[in-house]
Amino acid sequence: MVLFSPTSRSLVGLAVTLLAVGLFSWYALRQVEGLSDLQTRIIDRNRRDSLQLLRIQNNLQNLGFSMRDMTTRTAGYPVAAWKAEFERTRFDLDDAFRIEHELGPTSRSDQQQQFLEDSVSQFWAAAERAFQLSGEGREEQAQALVRDILQTRHASIAGTVARFLVMNNEAEQKAAAEVRAIYSNVERNIYYFLLAAVVVICGTSVSLILQNRRVFRSLDQLSHQRQVLARKLITMQEDMFRSIARELHDEFGQVLTAVGALLARAQKPETSTEKLAKSLRETQQIVQEALDGVRSLSVRLHPNVLDDYGLEGAVEWYVRHISEQTGLNIECVKEGDFAGVVPPETAIHVYRILQESINNVVRHSDSKRAWVRLRRNARKLELEIEDRGVGLPEDPRTAEGLGLVGMRERAELIRGSLTFSRPAEGGTLVRLEAPLTA
Amino acid sequence: MTLYPRCPALLVCVAAAALAQPRSGVRLTDVTKEAGLAFVHNTGAFGAMYLPETMGAGCAFLDYNGDGWMDILLVNGMDWPAHKKQRTTPKLYRNKGGGAFVDVTHASGLDVEIYGMGAAIGDYDNDGLPDIFISAVGQNRLFRNKGDGRFEDVTRAAGLIGRESFSAAALWFDYDSDGRLDLFVANYVRWTPESDIFCTIDGRRKSYCTPEAYRGETSWLFRNKGDGTFEDVTVKANLFDSTSKALGAALLDFDADGLIDLFVANDTQPNKLYRNLGKGRFQEVAVASGIAFSEDGKARAGMGTDAADFDLSGAPSVAVTNFNNEMLAFFRNTGDGSFKDIAPTTALGPITRGSLGFGCLFLDVDLDGWPDLLVANGHIDEVQGAHHGDSGRAQSPHLVWNRGGRSFLDIAAEAGRAFVAPKVGRGVAVADIDLDGDLDILITENGGPAHLFRNDLQSDNRGIRFELRGTVSNRDAIGALVRVEVGGRKLSQLVKTGSSYLSQSELPLTFGLGHNNRADRVTIRWPSGRVEEFSNLAAGQTYRCVEGAGIRERIPLASRPRPASTNGPR
Ligand SMILES: Nc1ncnc2c1ncn2[C@@H]1O[C@H](COP(=O)(O)OP(=O)(O)O)[C@@H](O)[C@H]1O
Ligand SMILES: [Mg+2]
Repeated sequence: MVLFSPTSRSLVGLAVTLLAVGLFSWYALRQVEGLSDLQTRIIDRNRRDSLQLLRIQNNLQNLGFSMRDMTTRTAGYPVAAWKAEFERTRFDLDDAFRIEHELGPTSRSDQQQQFLEDSVSQFWAAAERAFQLSGEGREEQAQALVRDILQTRHASIAGTVARFLVMNNEAEQKAAAEVRAIYSNVERNIYYFLLAAVVVICGTSVSLILQNRRVFRSLDQLSHQRQVLARKLITMQEDMFRSIARELHDEFGQVLTAVGALLARAQKPETSTEKLAKSLRETQQIVQEALDGVRSLSVRLHPNVLDDYGLEGAVEWYVRHISEQTGLNIECVKEGDFAGVVPPETAIHVYRILQESINNVVRHSDSKRAWVRLRRNARKLELEIEDRGVGLPEDPRTAEGLGLVGMRERAELIRGSLTFSRPAEGGTLVRLEAPLTA
Repeated sequence: MTLYPRCPALLVCVAAAALAQPRSGVRLTDVTKEAGLAFVHNTGAFGAMYLPETMGAGCAFLDYNGDGWMDILLVNGMDWPAHKKQRTTPKLYRNKGGGAFVDVTHASGLDVEIYGMGAAIGDYDNDGLPDIFISAVGQNRLFRNKGDGRFEDVTRAAGLIGRESFSAAALWFDYDSDGRLDLFVANYVRWTPESDIFCTIDGRRKSYCTPEAYRGETSWLFRNKGDGTFEDVTVKANLFDSTSKALGAALLDFDADGLIDLFVANDTQPNKLYRNLGKGRFQEVAVASGIAFSEDGKARAGMGTDAADFDLSGAPSVAVTNFNNEMLAFFRNTGDGSFKDIAPTTALGPITRGSLGFGCLFLDVDLDGWPDLLVANGHIDEVQGAHHGDSGRAQSPHLVWNRGGRSFLDIAAEAGRAFVAPKVGRGVAVADIDLDGDLDILITENGGPAHLFRNDLQSDNRGIRFELRGTVSNRDAIGALVRVEVGGRKLSQLVKTGSSYLSQSELPLTFGLGHNNRADRVTIRWPSGRVEEFSNLAAGQTYRCVEGAGIRERIPLASRPRPASTNGPR
């Protein structure tokens, strides 16, 4: 089973999320920048300009009151009395007009500005003339000047200033609408971003959960396999000891008992030479049988043939031996030169896999024929055992014997790969590929 | 004052407070009743909430009969023409001697109905008898002292008829140094019952308007032509200003050039400081000298004002009372022709922040040489008071004890229960009514009684008193500067009218000498420019000085009873 590392996936997800957050922050900052720009450029400036216009209006109103007093108050003072007050107001007005002009919105036409400036200078010129006339005692003329010129100019200045205020108001409303548009745009995008973020987070979580579940399931399976293996290993060991014990008891116990009885008989004085010779012959025969038994047991426990003849020889010997024993027709094919290239620690596992496979063929396949193919090329060793029997059961769970598990373990030990398949003609094909270089 | 929040017992608290707070020894005894002052101010209010109803009225001390004892003039309002229920007039009380008064209004011919605001006392015809100008809502009035205990209304003869406005402060001074007193009248706003505006705080009931609702009015300067008539020189003297809303006015020589300058406190408009250029012309320098606005550049509700050399620097500083939450303005004269408001950085700020001040004046109440500050407080109307979270209109006066020109302590509570009791204070004036060397206090209430407090100072401090008579200068010597050197300190006071709010104190000057028994040196700079010098003048005397003739008379002051306890003076 192939497992993807969940860590790398999470890291990718995290990176994507961070990138998205970064991008969105950049976007939001740009929008806010634009907003504050709009605010300082248009709204604040407009507002400050309007403040100056209001200051101008206030001054104009005071001038208006004063002019009314100049012309209507009966027990009043000469027009010239207001000179200082006018000068003070003019000082403030000039300042307000200067600041207002600096702040003045670009939308205002030069013509309007020019008209205002002309009206203002005409107003002050007329005012100065009126004060002069009043100072010379020509009060009637001074008052007439105030009434006819000063108040008309005053009205037109006041009108222009009022118009400017209205224009500022309109510009401000327009800017406010723009600000509102930006706000709603940003708001909408924030919602989109949040939605996307929620989707990404949910997706990542689901995939993590699935991944985790898969990992836990395979862990579970592995630990089960290990448990089964351990139990079977113990059982096998016990079986092995039991079989050795029985073998020792059955074979050597009998043999040694027989040898003992024969020797006891030969010791007796009444035993004839003939009988003695017969007993010795029987003893020698029994000992020979015991020797054969010991050799056979030894081979079964560890194939000396592997040490003596190498893998190639051992395979050949085993195939022949099993054919003789069971009558199975095994066709053995060897390709390549094996001399000295298979290290002994690899060879024992290959040999055991062959043994187990042939055993399974004999025990489970019901096949009369089998093929063993041993191949070697530059880098690897190939072993195939094929039969035309019933084949492995469909459900791998029912094929959970210690044999298959052991074969897999051995293949893993030599970093080889073991595959089980069903050839087109039926039966089972066991295939081992093992690397040769260390 | 130091606070002791966790005193185990009240006794310890009291003891600790007594130890922590230095004692001035000032005791102000309410002698209104025993002096025979039975006066209640009539605002004329009938429900229409006319603006002038909350503003009056003032009071003045004058020796109208020349007996040396200070008499009292109490200005009164009257019922509005279409709503007459009672007849009320100003009141004149004659000091029978020692501080007992008798009502002589009728005999003096002053029992005329005027909607009066303030009073200015000055001997404009130089006949040795103080004359009375009453500023009013409507026609202002001038009363000449005939010398037989009677006054005659010379408004028409003086050419002041038709001078109708909402006038407030008025004062006499010789602005052109011709030896004759000229008259300055501060006008508040353009108000008539017909032009009254409906103002409201709760949206339903009418309340009293703030002056913002009305247009300002120019104040007036009338030159004394010497033949009993006056000439309007407002424009010529450069005082014309139709935007001002003046309530208070004070005389001072802020630039020490020997010419008397004029400070005008405006309500919700910048204050004005008119620098006397000589030759009958003034220059307005308030903004340049930093006295026009508060430290944060706001025009406040200037009401009463006074100027004095409170820090013994030789240069007069200016106090102006303002609305509550604006705190009192205390413009310290930096000596180079400019001012700095030190109220926010001293105890004066916290003391005065919560009160709406009207009358204010400097007096050395404990005779230690350092001028103290007296402030009468009181709100405009009930509705407004309730709206701002105050209780009613009455507020306690402040008596700010000046300790060395640097630290200030409100000793109103220590001065006496009757004195510190909340009042709807307006006018304030001081005089030595019992000639015992310390200054006694008169406070008027809007729509209430006038209160007379006798100073029963519990200390060994001694005073000295100067009465000046000009010969070349105006006879009242208004504008004369008296300097007293005592114990290494240099005290100075100006003989003046005006100041406070709608009120005028006595013209004689009282200096506190502390424990010193004599003034080392006394210098008088007469308005004419003449300087006279005296040395080693004993305390406890009134010195009558005549321009060009020196000290003509010395009259011992009554001895004050010795202080009962020894913890009085510092
Ligand atoms: N060549 C084969 N043909 C058919 N069935 C096989 C073959 N090899 C193995 N099997 C099946 O796989 C099972 C497991 O085999 P193995 O692991 O060797 O255990 P065992 O031989 O002890 O039963 C066997 O029980 C048998 O059913
Ligand atoms: Mg098997």
